[in-house]
Amino acid sequence: MRWLRRNLVVIAGAATLAYLILPNVVVTVFSFNKPRGRFNYTWQEFSTDAWREPCGVADMCGSLALSLQIALWATLGATVLGTLIAFALARHRFRARSAVNTLIFLPMAMPEVVMGASLGTLFLNMRIEFGFWTILTAHIMFCLSFVVTAVKARVMSMDPRLEQAAQDLYASPLQTFLRVTLPIAAPGIAAGAMLSFALSFDDFIITNFNSGPASTTFPMFVWGSAQRGTPVQINVIGTAMFVIAVGVVLIGRLAGSRRKRS
Amino acid sequence: MTDTTGGDVRLSGISKTYGSFTAVHPLDLTVPAGSFFALLGASGCGKTTTLRMIAGLENPTTGTVELGGRDVTALPPHKRPVNTVFQNYALFPHLDIYENVAFGLRRRGIKSVKKQVDETLELVELGPLARRRPHQLSGGQQQRVALARALINHPQVLLLDEPLGALDLKLRRQMQLELKRIQTEVGITFVHVTHDQEEAMAMADTVAVMNAGRVEQLGRPADLYENPETTFVANFLGTSNLIEAEVAEATDEELLLTAGEAKLRLPARRCRGAARAGDTILAGIRPEKVSLAHADEAGSVPEGRNRVQGNITDAGFMGVSTQYVVETRAAGRIAVYEQNIERDGRLVPGADVVLHWSPENTFGFDADARSIHGVQQPAGEGV
Repeated sequence: MRWLRRNLVVIAGAATLAYLILPNVVVTVFSFNKPRGRFNYTWQEFSTDAWREPCGVADMCGSLALSLQIALWATLGATVLGTLIAFALARHRFRARSAVNTLIFLPMAMPEVVMGASLGTLFLNMRIEFGFWTILTAHIMFCLSFVVTAVKARVMSMDPRLEQAAQDLYASPLQTFLRVTLPIAAPGIAAGAMLSFALSFDDFIITNFNSGPASTTFPMFVWGSAQRGTPVQINVIGTAMFVIAVGVVLIGRLAGSRRKRS
Repeated sequence: MTDTTGGDVRLSGISKTYGSFTAVHPLDLTVPAGSFFALLGASGCGKTTTLRMIAGLENPTTGTVELGGRDVTALPPHKRPVNTVFQNYALFPHLDIYENVAFGLRRRGIKSVKKQVDETLELVELGPLARRRPHQLSGGQQQRVALARALINHPQVLLLDEPLGALDLKLRRQMQLELKRIQTEVGITFVHVTHDQEEAMAMADTVAVMNAGRVEQLGRPADLYENPETTFVANFLGTSNLIEAEVAEATDEELLLTAGEAKLRLPARRCRGAARAGDTILAGIRPEKVSLAHADEAGSVPEGRNRVQGNITDAGFMGVSTQYVVETRAAGRIAVYEQNIERDGRLVPGADVVLHWSPENTFGFDADARSIHGVQQPAGEGV
């Protein structure tokens, strides 16, 4: 009983972690399955077929490439624009400042279905062809608010005297920005960029409303194939993405702690 | 930026207004090259704004700033040969101590900085910590990094904005000596902003006391303390007992004053402004210069001293001294600090006493100085 009381926190922590990780474990385990039939839902026997041939399913790797491409460009666009907006909101007092501040949060608060549908209607009425560019435009839009939020928090908490100190120490306005402002804001910018990439890569709802017949992203492919049969390769890609994501976070942590120690 | 040590700072008619609020009234101030100059005042008096105008971080509404004879009013901060030690230091958190100190040299395109950085870190005794980050250092160490980061550039003028404000009392006293030593060693003009009157007096050659955007009085610390010219200065630098008195007789040498039934003498040279018979002035005396005798021994008080009768209302034992508050009919409440050398056991609250002091230690100024600058603080209320 006393042992339980003393270790309750650890047990609760472990249980929560298991809750979070279990789906990923299932995905990984089933990536080594050799299903009978078209659906990969029951365990049959161990096999590395899918790992040896990750692109063995028609159109899947094409959709993966499209998703990665869109995620990269959306991240770049949203990070640059979002950082600029965040600096403007944190540093300057202008007429529509509070309105902009509220509007920036709208994509986060609004249901994705509504936003996706209305954006689709807009593109349709403007007679814009659905495809890569409509998806990218939509993704940059909803990623923006996350970047702005992350960067603004960082810029707001920055001591304005640091920039004054840099100027006082002979740094021109450009040098001040590059040598002091940007490095200090960097963690916020990096967080916003990572969030953007993740959100863009796995977005389904908004993408579905704004894609063309020739532009199928990876989440759309998964959803579409789930109705006809789920190839094991989906699990392979899922596992690979999980490992890469964990790897990036770990490298970030290691770099951070080494910098702190030195 | 240049290699000339020091440079005088000349402010001419400089002022700063924010909307309808005037932070600094038009001000003329000259800080001689190589001196340690303190701007002293309560928070919000305009001293930091004045400093920031010298640094270029604030544009003056009117007036000019000259450094070593050159008008720098229009120059942005990064082109001025001055450096600042900021309040709370403003060290760059993403750079280590070495790079913090090297920052100014690098921005000026100097490639080989190692020797200078090492020497400067040596000067502030921080050599072994060069590769640490600012947040890993104590407050006192951070303070010295901020100092090194500014000094390495050999500025014509070093500006210090409340540099010791974040340190505890003991460290503050230690750093005061250290700053004074470094200033003597490098010979650079220091302009130091502080609200701590002891700090200003301990370090500066010249102190300017500021109040509500104006310089009330400027001079050597001892002169300011001995001869305050306004109520504000009299009570901001230490504590003063101010007695409202009427001039009964005035000669070139001495003024005879009456306050109630008491007659006081004041050397004419210690009274600011011409006082004629019939004028009302404020006569001041520092609490530590007043002696206290029990009423039974009133006869033993030497002739020729200013004396006032009163009754002790409060006595506070401070270890090295005792602080009394004495209620007098002639001069209101008078604060007295008595060294605890031979304590008279009869000097307790309720006792009748005679206060006496040398006329030489009395100072005086126009009673109108009170209405111009701030309100008078009741005697005995420490500043």
